[in-house]
Amino acid sequence: MSRGIFPFMGGGITIEFEDLAKRFDMRVVFRSVSGRVAPGEVLAVTGPNGSGKSTLVTILCGLVRATRGRVLYREGSGEIPRESWRDHLGIVAPAMSLYEELDALENLRFFALVRGVDDAETRCRASLERVGLDPDRTTPVRGFSTGMHQRLKIAQAVLHDPQVLFLDEPGANLDPAGQDWLEKLVASERDAGKTIVLATNDLREMEWGTSRVALSG
Amino acid sequence: MWRYLAEAGAVFAKDMRTELRTRVAFNALGLFAITTLAAVSYTIGPYRIAEADRPYLLSALLWIVIFFAAMAGLDRSFVKEEDSHTAALLRLSARPLVVWGGKLLFNVVVLDLLMVILVPLYVVLMGFEVRSITGLVWILLAGGYTLAVTTTIVAAIIARASSRGALFSVLSLPLLLPLLIFVIQGTRAVAEGSAGGVISALRAVISLGGVMTLVSIVLFPAVWNE
Repeated sequence: MSRGIFPFMGGGITIEFEDLAKRFDMRVVFRSVSGRVAPGEVLAVTGPNGSGKSTLVTILCGLVRATRGRVLYREGSGEIPRESWRDHLGIVAPAMSLYEELDALENLRFFALVRGVDDAETRCRASLERVGLDPDRTTPVRGFSTGMHQRLKIAQAVLHDPQVLFLDEPGANLDPAGQDWLEKLVASERDAGKTIVLATNDLREMEWGTSRVALSG
Repeated sequence: MWRYLAEAGAVFAKDMRTELRTRVAFNALGLFAITTLAAVSYTIGPYRIAEADRPYLLSALLWIVIFFAAMAGLDRSFVKEEDSHTAALLRLSARPLVVWGGKLLFNVVVLDLLMVILVPLYVVLMGFEVRSITGLVWILLAGGYTLAVTTTIVAAIIARASSRGALFSVLSLPLLLPLLIFVIQGTRAVAEGSAGGVISALRAVISLGGVMTLVSIVLFPAVWNE
């Protein structure tokens, strides 16, 4: 489905954030950050190192509370309560690791089961194949290359077909072929009406954004 | 309910699988328990305590070994999630009480496995006379559960602290002191063959376990998410 010809008509989730500020002790990370990202859109969060891109992502996904301001998840005219946000989102972030002692399929199976995904085994295998990993490979994740690690994190994020995707430096450690594949994946998720927040410093990834929030640091 | 059990079971299975591959908690608990038991049995043994003092002293020593072994390893399941940076993804994937249920089940199973190995060894090496095996099993099961449920919530609290050090033992001790007194009384009653003493101690231990379970259910979502 092309976004240009058939604008997204389904439910989808819109994220609105207003006047967000975050401070750790005396250090102000950012202040007065506002924005909105709707289904079928990609919000690119950009800024220099230490400007708070990852912090903003953790606030938007509900992992950390802002010092000031508010975040709303809207579905149609209704608001989704904060404790239910996790049911609707998938996330890839450098600071979030998978279980090193488990293999790729065991990792995905675990996340599928705790999320209550139906037909978990088939979905896990399909998700691994989608990112180019072999579901039958039994090597523990600690033996993976950094690129394979990143692909597995992406497989985990899209496993339950979430309506909202947070991608924090998703192309980190991917080779050029992997980055091409990632671009296609982001485009297909966007065209499927997903709401995507992309935190990046990569000029190529910034181009994927349909709107942008620039943090100054 | 079934969905909750399946999800908590997944957390338990994941913890058990990673533990079987790293053996961090098993080694910590097992080594502490076996070393302490060896030291106690070598220095005190079955014959250096007067007959009349045996039920008191041997009951207390048994629970001291179990308690300190628990302190050595039962915080691992939460601490490991934070140390290996997997906690954030777990927070965003599983409901808080699912995580609590899975971690509690893991701690109960680890503690029960420890007691299955430790208690028969203790009975043999220390010459601990047990008049009611059923009574002892009930005291161990109830005491083990209450010890696990208390250490699980304390482990969740200390896991995010920057300087954990002795925090786990320091926070656990005041919460577990009443439990230790009741399980020692119950184990002594088992050695003396006092059914009334066993039932009275069991009531107290089960009540404590119930209170700690309710407190954990109320507290855990805030402890885990904030």
